[in-house]
Amino acid sequence: MQGPFGTAWTASDTAFAGAAARFFELLKTFAAQPHTAPGRSPDWTQLGAALAGQFEQWLKSSPAAGAAFAAAAGFPASAHSAAAPPWPPGPIPLGPAARVAEEQSAWELLMKLGQLQAQLSRHWGEIAGNAAQRFMGRMRTTQSTDLTAESALALYETWVECAEEAYAETVRREDFSQLQAQLTNTAMALLLAQRSQAEALARAWGLPTREETDALQRQIRELRQRLEERPAQKPQRTPRAAARAPRKGSAKAGTGRGVRGRRGGARSKRR
Amino acid sequence: MSDLGGEAGALFMELGARMAQTLARLREARSVTVGCSAHRAVWSHGKTTLFEYLPLEGRAQKGARPLLVCFALVNRPYILDLQADTSLIRRLLEAGRKVYLVDWGNPDDGDRLQELNDYLEQGLGGCVRHVLATQGTDTLDLLGVCQGGVLSLCYSALHPAQIANLVTLTTPVDFQTPDDLLSKWVRGLDTELLARVGNVPGELLNALFLSLLPFRLMQQKYVRLLIAGAEQRAVEDFVRMERWIFDSPPQAAAALTQFVRWFYQENRLMRGTLELGGRAVDLKSVRQPLLNLYATADHIVPPAACEVMGRHVGSRDYTACAIDTGHIGMYVSRKARTEIPQRIIAWLEARSGAAARRPRRRPRK
Repeated sequence: MQGPFGTAWTASDTAFAGAAARFFELLKTFAAQPHTAPGRSPDWTQLGAALAGQFEQWLKSSPAAGAAFAAAAGFPASAHSAAAPPWPPGPIPLGPAARVAEEQSAWELLMKLGQLQAQLSRHWGEIAGNAAQRFMGRMRTTQSTDLTAESALALYETWVECAEEAYAETVRREDFSQLQAQLTNTAMALLLAQRSQAEALARAWGLPTREETDALQRQIRELRQRLEERPAQKPQRTPRAAARAPRKGSAKAGTGRGVRGRRGGARSKRR
Repeated sequence: MSDLGGEAGALFMELGARMAQTLARLREARSVTVGCSAHRAVWSHGKTTLFEYLPLEGRAQKGARPLLVCFALVNRPYILDLQADTSLIRRLLEAGRKVYLVDWGNPDDGDRLQELNDYLEQGLGGCVRHVLATQGTDTLDLLGVCQGGVLSLCYSALHPAQIANLVTLTTPVDFQTPDDLLSKWVRGLDTELLARVGNVPGELLNALFLSLLPFRLMQQKYVRLLIAGAEQRAVEDFVRMERWIFDSPPQAAAALTQFVRWFYQENRLMRGTLELGGRAVDLKSVRQPLLNLYATADHIVPPAACEVMGRHVGSRDYTACAIDTGHIGMYVSRKARTEIPQRIIAWLEARSGAAARRPRRRPRK
C-alpha cells in the first residue's frame, strides 16, 4: 500500500511532520520581521520573498504538485522527491546488445523530458511569486497583532488561500494543461522505448517478451468469452456422454462464482 | 527557534509540544481499522467481489427491494462504511434496507486488457443478476457513487428492466465543463500510449487527485490538526481518512484508457455517442426514478458536471439535490452523517411500491 509519501500508515506521520515544519518556518520568518509599532502595518516585502522561496522549493519537490506524471516514468522531479524512480531514466544500459536507433530515441525522449521539466519549473516559480504577491497585498491591510496559536493559524490560512489562488490561476491555463499532457506523453513514450530495448534483449536470450504475454492474455480473454457464451447454447450430447454426465449437483458453467458454490466444489473434489 | 524570544518564543514552545503530542497520537493511531458493518462475500468474478451487509441486531429488514451500491473503480468503497458515525451503509442498514456492495478489487497485470464493458457486464451485471436471483425479485435499487455512478447510469440505460430506482452520488455526465481541472489536464493525453504502458498504479492517481488542490490537501489539513491539538479519537478518525485517501487501487490499462478517451476527451456519454460492448448507451433510456445528489464545492466532479444529468436522462421522476460540501465531504462530513442518508432513505421509501415487497419467486438458496 505505497502512498506518495511511503506506506499509508507512515504517510500521515511524515506528511504531518513535513507540513508542521513548513508551518514553523513560515512563523519563524513572520516573527523575524522588524518590530513595528502597535496598530501599524509591518513591512511584508522581506516576508514575501522568503515565502516565495520556500514555496517554490516545496512545489518542485512535491510529487503531488505535478512531478507525479514524470515520476511515473522514472524521471526524478528533484533529488529530494519522495517519488523515487523505480528504474533508471534514459536508455537501458544494454551495452553492445542495444540497438542504436532505439538508444537514440530514448536519449531524445530523455532530453525532451528534461526540457519539459524545466518549463514546469518556471511555472512553479511563477506560482510562488504570484502567491507571495497576493499574500503581501492582503497583509498590507492587516494591522500588527500578537502572535498566538490562533493568529498564527489565521495567518497560515490566508497564506494557503493565496497559494491555492495563484496555483489555480496558472494550472487552469491552456499552456499549463498542454505542458502536463506533453510531460506525461513523453514520460510514457520513454518508458515504452525502454521496454522496447529490454524486449530486444529478452528476445535475443529466448526469454518471453511483453508482446508474447499480451498475445497469451488475449487468447485467455477469447477463451473466457467463449466459455461465458456456452450456457446459452444447448449442447448436443451423444448417448455415451449423456450417460457419463452427472444428473444432479453438477457445477454450472459460468464465470461468476457464488461463494457457497466454490466451497461446494472443493468438497466434491475431496470426495 | 532558540533566537526567538517573548511571545513568539512562547508560541513555538507551545506548538512544539502540540506537534510532539499529535505525532505520538498519529503513530498510536497507525493500527486503526476501517469498515464498521459486518458483511460477507457472496459472489465473485475475477477481482470483483459482491459483499452483502448483515442486518443490524434488532433492526428487522423490511421487505424493501435490495439496494446495490456501486463505487468507483479509482477508489476503495470502504469510505462508505469507514466508521460508525459517518457510515452511509450503517444508516441504510438502520433504515432496514438490505444492502449489497460491489468491490472491484485490485487489478493486476493479468487484467490490463480488462475493458469498461467487462466491468459493466461481468462485474456490475454479475452482481445485479446474483442479487436478483438470490432475493427472488425482478428489480433492485442501484446507488452509484462517482465513477460508479457513471457505470450505474450506463447499466440502467442498457438493462432498464432490472433497476427500479437509481441514486447517483457525485456523478458526472458532462466531462468537459469549464471548471473541470481534471478534464483539462487529461484531455491532451495520448491514449494510445496510455493503453500500451500498462496498468496505472494507484499512487499516480492519488498524486493526480492531490495535485488539484495541493496546499489544502497536503499542507493545510495537517496544520489544522496541529493547531487543534486533537484528541486521540479525532486523530484516529483523521488517520482512517488518510488511509483511504492513499489507498487507491491500480487501474486496468484498457478500462482506464477507454474512460479517459470516451468520457473525458470525447464526452460521449453526454453527446449520446457512447457504445459499450457494441450497444449504444442512450441516457434517454434511463427512465427509472432518479435521485441525483452532488456537492456544490466538489473539486473532482464539479457541480456543473452533475447538474446537467436531468436534461439528458429519460426519467420523469427526477430529483436533483445539491449538498453544500466538497467531494469527500459527501462521504464523511456532518452532512454525510445525517442529510445525505436521510434524503436517500426518504426518497427510496417514497418509491418502494407494494410490488417490491412481494417476492417474485422463492429466493435461490
